[in-house]
Amino acid sequence: MRARLSLYWFTVPALLVIGLFFIHPILLTWNMSLTNFAGIGEAKDVGWRNYERIFTRDRYLQEIWLTLWYTVIVVSALTVTGLFFAAMLHRLPLIRNFSRAALYTPAMMSFVVVGYIWQFLYSPLNGGINVALRDLGLGAWEQNWLGDPALALYSVAFTQIWMFTGFTCAIFLAGFAGIPEEIGEAGRLEGATSWQRFRYLELPLLGPSITVSVMLTTIGTLKTFELPFILTKGGPDGATRLLSIDIIDNLFGQYKFGFASALSIVMLVIVLVVAFLQNKVLRDRENA
Amino acid sequence: MMSLSDTATPRTATSPDWDLFRRRGKSILVHCIVLGLVAIMLLPLVYMVMMSFKTSTEIAQDPLGLPDSLYWGNYMAALSSMGYVRSVLNSMGITISVIVVVVFSGAMAAYPLARLQNRISRVIVMVMALGLATPNFVTITPIYVIFRDLGLLDSYLGIVLAFAALKLPLAVFFYTSFIAAIPIELEEAARLDNCNNWQIFWHVIRPLLAPVTATLSLFVMIMVWNDFIYPLLLLTDKDKLTVMIAVYKFVGNTGIDPTKLFPAAVLGSLPLLLMFAVFQRKIMAGATAGAVK
Amino acid sequence: MIRNLSAVTLTAVLMASTAGAQTVLDVVAWKGNEAEPAGLPELIEKFEAANPDIEVDLTYVARKDVDKVIPPRLQGGNPPDVTMVDSSLVDLWGGAGFLNDLGTGSAWYDRMVPAVREVMTTDGEIRVFPLEVIGMGNFVNMDLMAKAGIDKAPVTLDELKAACQALAAQGIAPMIFAGGFPAMLFVGANGIDPNGVSPAEYGSGERTFVEDENFNAALDGVRDLVAAECFDPELQAGLDPWATAPQEFRSGNVAILPQGAWNIGNFSSVEGLTFQFAPMPSRYTDKGLALDLVGPGWAIPRDAEHAEAARKWVDFFAEEENLTVFLKAEGAYSPYTGGVSTMPDLAAPYTQARAEGSLILWPFSTLEFPKALQSEWEDSITGFLLNIDKPNEDTLQRWDDTVEDSM
Repeated sequence: MRARLSLYWFTVPALLVIGLFFIHPILLTWNMSLTNFAGIGEAKDVGWRNYERIFTRDRYLQEIWLTLWYTVIVVSALTVTGLFFAAMLHRLPLIRNFSRAALYTPAMMSFVVVGYIWQFLYSPLNGGINVALRDLGLGAWEQNWLGDPALALYSVAFTQIWMFTGFTCAIFLAGFAGIPEEIGEAGRLEGATSWQRFRYLELPLLGPSITVSVMLTTIGTLKTFELPFILTKGGPDGATRLLSIDIIDNLFGQYKFGFASALSIVMLVIVLVVAFLQNKVLRDRENA
Repeated sequence: MMSLSDTATPRTATSPDWDLFRRRGKSILVHCIVLGLVAIMLLPLVYMVMMSFKTSTEIAQDPLGLPDSLYWGNYMAALSSMGYVRSVLNSMGITISVIVVVVFSGAMAAYPLARLQNRISRVIVMVMALGLATPNFVTITPIYVIFRDLGLLDSYLGIVLAFAALKLPLAVFFYTSFIAAIPIELEEAARLDNCNNWQIFWHVIRPLLAPVTATLSLFVMIMVWNDFIYPLLLLTDKDKLTVMIAVYKFVGNTGIDPTKLFPAAVLGSLPLLLMFAVFQRKIMAGATAGAVK
Repeated sequence: MIRNLSAVTLTAVLMASTAGAQTVLDVVAWKGNEAEPAGLPELIEKFEAANPDIEVDLTYVARKDVDKVIPPRLQGGNPPDVTMVDSSLVDLWGGAGFLNDLGTGSAWYDRMVPAVREVMTTDGEIRVFPLEVIGMGNFVNMDLMAKAGIDKAPVTLDELKAACQALAAQGIAPMIFAGGFPAMLFVGANGIDPNGVSPAEYGSGERTFVEDENFNAALDGVRDLVAAECFDPELQAGLDPWATAPQEFRSGNVAILPQGAWNIGNFSSVEGLTFQFAPMPSRYTDKGLALDLVGPGWAIPRDAEHAEAARKWVDFFAEEENLTVFLKAEGAYSPYTGGVSTMPDLAAPYTQARAEGSLILWPFSTLEFPKALQSEWEDSITGFLLNIDKPNEDTLQRWDDTVEDSM
C-alpha cells in the first residue's frame, strides 16, 4: 500500500504549477471580491456588497442567462456539425484526412484575427456577406448581422461555431475510429441504411466522445469573451453582453477590480456547476 | 441528410453494370457535396488571403472580387517592419519548450490518478478541474507578482512555465483517461521484474502515450501561437516577443486598415498552419484518442 | 528538427544577454507602431544621438492592453521607466501614488494651455507631461460633396442637413453615425453648451441629464438628421467605429465620418481620397464646434529604474522642435502656448473654429464625465438609434443612473 501511495509523488510538479497559477490567484480573487479594489493602490473591505449588487440587479442575472443561452446554442450546434462532418468523413476515407485538417484550420487562428475577418464579413454596408448575397441576386436576404439586436448574438455564435466545428469533428472522428469494423459490417449486411447505421449502431457507441466534446466546448464557450468583444463589444445596446464581457468592462473599462472579481467568482462557480452536472448526466447516460 | 450517401438501392431489373455505374456516380456526388461543404467552411480564410493581396483601391471598389494581380506590396510593408523571422523563431522555441513541460508533468501526474481510485485522487482531480474552469484574465496580476518574486520576468523560462500552467489541467485529464485504458497487466509484469514506480512509468507507460501527446502538442501550439497577453505582460525584451505581438503591433487598434490587417493575419497564422500541415498525419492519426479512451 | 530549434532558441537567449553596458530606457506607449508611428522612430533616433549613453527600448502596447499589462508592473515595483498615460490613467495610477511628480516649477508647466493645466494638475502635482490636444470632428469627402454640388464642409446644422439631402438625392450615403463613437461626438457637441453649463455639473450628479434642456435637444437633433436622410439609424449599430466605419470612409462609400484627427495620416495615405477635417455642427454656434480631446502624455513611474534618463526623455519632448515632429505626425495641436501650427491644410475648417474660440474640451478626456459613463453612452446611444422614437427620457435616465452609480 505504501508503495502505491508513494505514486502520488508523481503529481507534485503538476500540483505545484496548478497551485501557483490557479489556486493562489483564485484565493486572491476571492479576497479582492470582498473589496472595492481599483486594480492598483489601496483596497477597502466592503464585505458582501459586490455580491449583493450582482444578485439584486436584473442586469447581471440577465447576463448569466444570456451566457448560458449562448453556450447552449454554440455547444449544441458544434455537436451537430461535428457529428455530421465526422459521420460523413468516416464513410469517405478518400477525403477524410484532407477534410479533417481543412476543417480544423479555423480553430488554429487567433481569436483576434478571426474576429476582425468576420467584422469585415458582417459589415452591413459593404461587408463580404452582404455583397455576396447582392451578387447572387439574394439582396433581400441582406442583414444587419451585428447591428440587429435580435440577430447579433446568433451572428457571434455562428462565428464561434465556424471556428470550432473542426475541433469537434476531430474528436468524433477519433470516436468513430474506435468503433469496431464488424459492427458497421453487420449493419450493412442487414441492409440498414446509412442513416440507420449512424442512428442505431454508431451513435450509441460515441458516448465517450460526446461527453468529451460537450464538456470541452461548454467550458470553453462559458469562458469565452474574445469574439463578442471584438465583434460587438457586447452591443448593440447589451444584446451580446455576456458575463465575461461585463467582467472585462468592469476590470479595464471602469477599473472596478473588486466588483469584477466578484463577477469572476460567480462565473467560476457557474462553470464548475455546469461542468459537474454535465459530467454526471453524460457519464450516467454512457453507462446506462 | 445522411440518406444522401448510400441508401440501400432497390435492386430492380437494371443490369449489374448499370447498378455499379449508379453507385459510382452516387459516391462521386457525395464526395463532391462534402468537399463543397468543406470548401464553404474555408471561404472566410480564402477571403482573408484574397484581401491581403489587394491594394486599398481594389478593396474599396470591389470588396469581394479577385485581386487583379497578386499585389505583394502589403506583404513587403508588413515583413519589413514586423521583425517577423525573429518572432517566429521565438514562438517556435517557446512552443517546443512548453510541450516538453506539459507532457512530462501532465503524464506523470496522470499516472497515479489513473491507477489509484480513492479520495486523494478525487481531490486532486477536482483541483485540476478548478484550473480548467478559471478564466485566465482573473490570474494576471497574481502571476505577475509571483514571477517578479521568483525573478522569472523577461525570461524564456518564465513564459514557458506560464503557458505550461494553462494547458496542464487539460493534459492531466487527457493522460488520465488514456492511461486508465492501458491494461494493468502490462505493469504487473514489470513489477514482478522488480521495477520501481518510476521505471514502470518510464519504460512501460510513457512509450504508449504518443497519440495523446500529439494532440496535446497541437493544443499547446495553438495557444502559444495566438496568446498575446502573457508575452506582453511577462516579456519586455523586444527580442523575445512572439508572432502575435508582432502582428498586433503592426496592425494597431484604432482605425484598422485592411491592407495592414490581412497580410499580417496571414503571416501570423502561416507558420502554425505549415507546422500543422507537416505534422498533421501524426497529430491527427491518434487525435484525441486519449480523450475518448 | 526539435534539436535544431532548441539550438536556435539557445542562441537567441545568448544573443539577448550580450547587450552593452548602456542605460536602456524602457518606454511603453500605444503609439509609435507601424499603424500610428507618431514620429517616434525619428525622435528616438534623435534622442539617442543626443544622449549616446542611453538606448531607448520602445514597447508598443495597445491602449486597451495597457490596462492589463502595466498595473501589475507598477504594483510589482518593476515599472517601465517612462509610460504613456491619458487623463484617466493619471487619475488612477497617480492617485494611488505610482507616478512621480514632474514638478510645477518647470518652464513647460508655465507654458501649458490653462485648461489642460487645470485638468492635469492634481493635489498641486503634475504627474504627466501632456503631449497633445487632438481634435475630433467630421471627416468630409470633398469629391463626394462636389458630386452633390457642395464645395464646403458643413459646419452648421442647416448646412449638414442640406448636404445630407443633396447627397442622398445623388444616391451617395451621406454619413456614418455608429453609436459606439461617431454619434457620441454629435450628441456631445449638441448637448454641451460651450458658454453654458459646465460638463462637470452633469458628471458630478449636480444636474441631471434627464431634465436638461440641452441634452434633450441633442437627441432631438439626431432625429432631425435622420429626417434629413443623413443615415439609416438602425444600420449604424452594425458598424464598428474603429474597423469597418473608417473603412467605409477610406473606400469613398460615405461622405461624412465623425472621428478623431488621429486618422488624418491614415486617410491621407489613400490615393485619390480628397477630404477635409471640419468641426462638428452644433446648435450653439454657426462656426461649428471643435471637440478637443486632451490626449496622452508621458509619465515617470515612482519606481522607475532609470528616473534620470526618463527625465531627459521628457525634457527632450518639452523642446518645441521635437514636440513639433510628434504633433505633425499625429495631426494634433500643442498643449502649450506659442509654438508653430503643425496642422495640414485639410484641417483648416477645424483649426479655424478652434482659433475663433468655438471649442470645448471633450468631457471624457478631462474626467468631468466619469469613465463608466463612456460605455453607457456607447450602449444607450446605440439603443436610441435602434429605436429612435422612444422618449428621450429612456436614454437620458440611464446616464443619470450611471453617474449615480459611479459616485
